[in-house]
Order: sequence, then C-alpha cells, then structure tokens
Amino acid sequence: MTSAPEVVLQFDRVSLDYGGQRVLSELSFSIKRGEIVAVLGPSGCGKTTMLNIVAGFLQPSAGIALISGREIAGPGPDRGVVFQSYALFDWMTVRENIAFHLRCAGRPRREQLEVADRMAALVGLTGTEDRYPYQLSGGMRQRCGLARVLAANPRVMLMDEPFAAVDVQTRETLQEEILRIQAQTGCTIVFVTHSIDEAVFLGDRIFLMLKGGLGAFEEFAVNLPQPRDGSDNRLHPEFLAVRERIYRAMRQPAGSAA
Amino acid sequence: MSENRQRRARLRYVLLAALSPLALLFLWVAATRHGWVRPVILPPPDAVVMSFVDMVVSGYSGIPLYVHVAASLMRVGVAFFVGALLGIFVGMLRGRVAEVDAIFVVPAEMIRPIPPLGLIPLFILWFGIGELSKILLILTSVFLITMVNAQAGARACPADPLRAALSLGADRFQVFRYVVLPAALPQIMTGLRVALGTALSILVASELLGGDRGLGFIVLDASNFFRTTYVFSGVIIIGIVGLASDRGLAWLSRRWVHWEGRR
Repeated sequence: MTSAPEVVLQFDRVSLDYGGQRVLSELSFSIKRGEIVAVLGPSGCGKTTMLNIVAGFLQPSAGIALISGREIAGPGPDRGVVFQSYALFDWMTVRENIAFHLRCAGRPRREQLEVADRMAALVGLTGTEDRYPYQLSGGMRQRCGLARVLAANPRVMLMDEPFAAVDVQTRETLQEEILRIQAQTGCTIVFVTHSIDEAVFLGDRIFLMLKGGLGAFEEFAVNLPQPRDGSDNRLHPEFLAVRERIYRAMRQPAGSAA
Repeated sequence: MSENRQRRARLRYVLLAALSPLALLFLWVAATRHGWVRPVILPPPDAVVMSFVDMVVSGYSGIPLYVHVAASLMRVGVAFFVGALLGIFVGMLRGRVAEVDAIFVVPAEMIRPIPPLGLIPLFILWFGIGELSKILLILTSVFLITMVNAQAGARACPADPLRAALSLGADRFQVFRYVVLPAALPQIMTGLRVALGTALSILVASELLGGDRGLGFIVLDASNFFRTTYVFSGVIIIGIVGLASDRGLAWLSRRWVHWEGRR
C-alpha cells in the first residue's frame, strides 16, 4: 500500500467533436482516489460531455481518457452514473432496481436481496423496497438511483446534476448524505452541477468550465473542516470565501462581454 | 369525496357499456317486429336464437358446434401466438439494430399494404387449401401488425435507462430483456389487441380456403344458402370471442404495464 492516493481518472488532451463542432477541446486533468470533484459551469460548457466520456457513453475524438491507467472503452459497472432524470426502471421495484447490477452479473438471489436491502438502508429507503419508482417522491427516486449505483460498488460515481429536480430542503439533505456515504465507501465522485453552493459544499476541488474557453478550466480547492457533511459548513468562512471567488470568476468573462 | 366520484364514474361506465348493446338489441327487435326490413336481410332476434340453439343441439352441416368453435380458435390461437412472437422479436430488433431494419424494411413495408384477401390465391397455390394456408394467412397479418408496434415501442425506449443498464454491467441481451422489452411493452400490448381483432376478421376470409368446419365456414356456408339466421349466429359468436379476448388482453395489459401513465 502506497501512502500517496493513486490517480483514478485521467484525461490527457481529450477533445470531442459533435456535429462538426468542437464541444470539448484538449481537456486535461487527473483525479485521485477518494476525491470529490465538482464540475461547475454554464449550460453548453461541455461538463456533461466530459462526464459522458468518463461513463463511456461517448468516445473522445482525440486524446486519451483513462480509468485506473486503462483507456476507457465503454460503459461499465466500475463507473456508476446517477442521472438527473433518475433513469430508474419503472417496471421494477425499488429492490429490483437496486439489485440490477448483481442480477446482470449472475449473483445468487440471496446475495441480490441482501445487498439490495443493505443499500436501501444506506440511502434511507428502508420500507419502500417493494414499491415502484412512480410511487416515490423525486428525492426518494434519486435515493434509489444512488443505491442502484452503490450496489455495484463502483470505483467512481458520476453524478450529472442529480438533484436539479428536487426541492431545496431535500436537495440539501441529499448533499449531506452524499458526503456521509462517500466517507463510508471512500469512492471517488465527479459531480456536475449548476449550483455554486452545491459545488463548494460537496467538492474537494472544483473545476469551473467556461463557455468559449473550451477545455480550459479554472480550478478551486476547498478546505472545509471534517466531517464535511456538517450543515454548519454552509456558513463557514471558507465556504463563503470560495463561493465568492467562484462567483467573481464566473462573472468576469460575462461582464467584459457585456 | 374523490373516491366517491371515482366510484360513480366507474358505475356510469359500466352502465353505459351495458346499455349500448341493449339499445342495439332494442332497435333490432323494433326493426324486425314492425317489418321495416325483410327477414332474409335482417332476421328477428328470436329466430337467430332458435338457429343458435339448433346449432348447439345438432351442430351445423353434421358437425357439432364446439368442433367448429374449436377449429377456429385453434387456427386463430396458433396463428396469433406464433405470429405475435415472431412479430415482437423482429420488430424489437428492427427498432434497435439498424442492420436488421435495413434487411426488413423493403419486403415488410411492401407486403404490409397488401390486403390479406389479395394473398389468398397465392397461399392456395403455395400451401394448398388445408390448415397451413389458413393459419399462415392469419399469421402473416398478426406478424406485420405486431412487428410495427414492437418496432415503434423499442425505438421509443428512452436513452437514460438504456445508458444506466449498460453502465450497470448489462450485456446486450440483458439490455434487451430488462430494458428495451419492458419499455416497449405498452406499445406491444396495443399491437397485440389490434392484431387479435384483425386475426378474427381474417379468420372468416381464411376459411374461404376450403374446409368443412370453423365459425367462418358457418358464416360463409350459411350465407351461400341465404340462411341468414345462421349467418347471424356465427357472426355473433365470432363477435363474442373477439370481445372476450380483447377484454382479456386489456386486463393483462393493465397488469403488465402498471407503470404506464403514472410516471
């Protein structure tokens, strides 16, 4: 065991062209094991595209995207995706949704049930295992989406504005739970969001991607006290300071253009 | 309160559904009782009932009624089952695999507009006038209808659940089995209901292809001899089979596609 955390995700001058347009241009970064990186930026800056490349849904037009040193060749259970649209299977119960990975992997039924119930408990869905997604509130649906990914024990969790469609209170609770779960599982998280507050509260590092400045991004480190999931952190001077720096950085190019 | 309103709406539905056939029956009685039409064109209901009882008791053209019914149900059943299975399979593949769609698009879309009656001479030439011709004629229509619906359903499968399945480690077959098929199920069920109705309507035509039994045979044979009461009996039996099987499919559909419209 080495003491320096390994690099889990690495982009080396990754570009992507879509419909004759360059959506992503020579993007390079590396993310270490256990880090939470929040990706912030306006619509169309390429943050979801970046996430889709990590997920294996899109292939780079140029450059290399690596997971644990190996080139990403397609989607796989080592990279769990939590969707803004939840993307739950409406025809399956909460339990069946959560157990989907194990079912596909051909694990025995007992293990499927045991893991599903444990993951449901971890995200606070105990008692709803036999319900269908349409019988759940938005917040609970996303908990189910989260548990479904956790059941695959992924190396990296990719979250694409997962809480954009839930109300503010639920959103803050879910953010705190993400941090709690991350502390328990130690998995790496890449979290795409529109919200500066969400990015600062969750991220160890924040990538601010800017429209027009394709590929180039500004990076911010967040040094909030542990445990990170304390809601007091939202009022911490560091939180406010980072938020202000990002806010100014986001306004600058827009201000000069106007 | 709203539960009460729901119950009243349900009651109203059942009432209207029961009253409309009674109204038709009433019109029928009135039309025949007052001599608005000649009995050979439209026989009175009691004469139809009598011919029906006669068929139950002594059969039609020397063959018991249940044999006629069983022969027709067998033809429709086999053709529907096999045709639907093939149609769903090919349709789903066409919906998701461009190459499969490319292979089927020209022949399938050329055959689809041809009326089944137009195929009868060819089917006689190719498959004779036995059971095979009858079943294949119905099967072809069922196949084409279910294929179109399954294809549309598979194509309408939303992208995110597909991606979710792939990223959770599902292979191509598992994606098909656990995501594409259930996502297409609402449209597949609709296709099955349309196909079943069509299958019954082609039954009569298919029994034009010779033979001495079947509900379609009764209708055709009786109409050849102007035995209108027997024509009506046969038509009504086919209608009741159609109604019952459609209600059955609708019930199955509500059970299997419980999530539809509730997202």
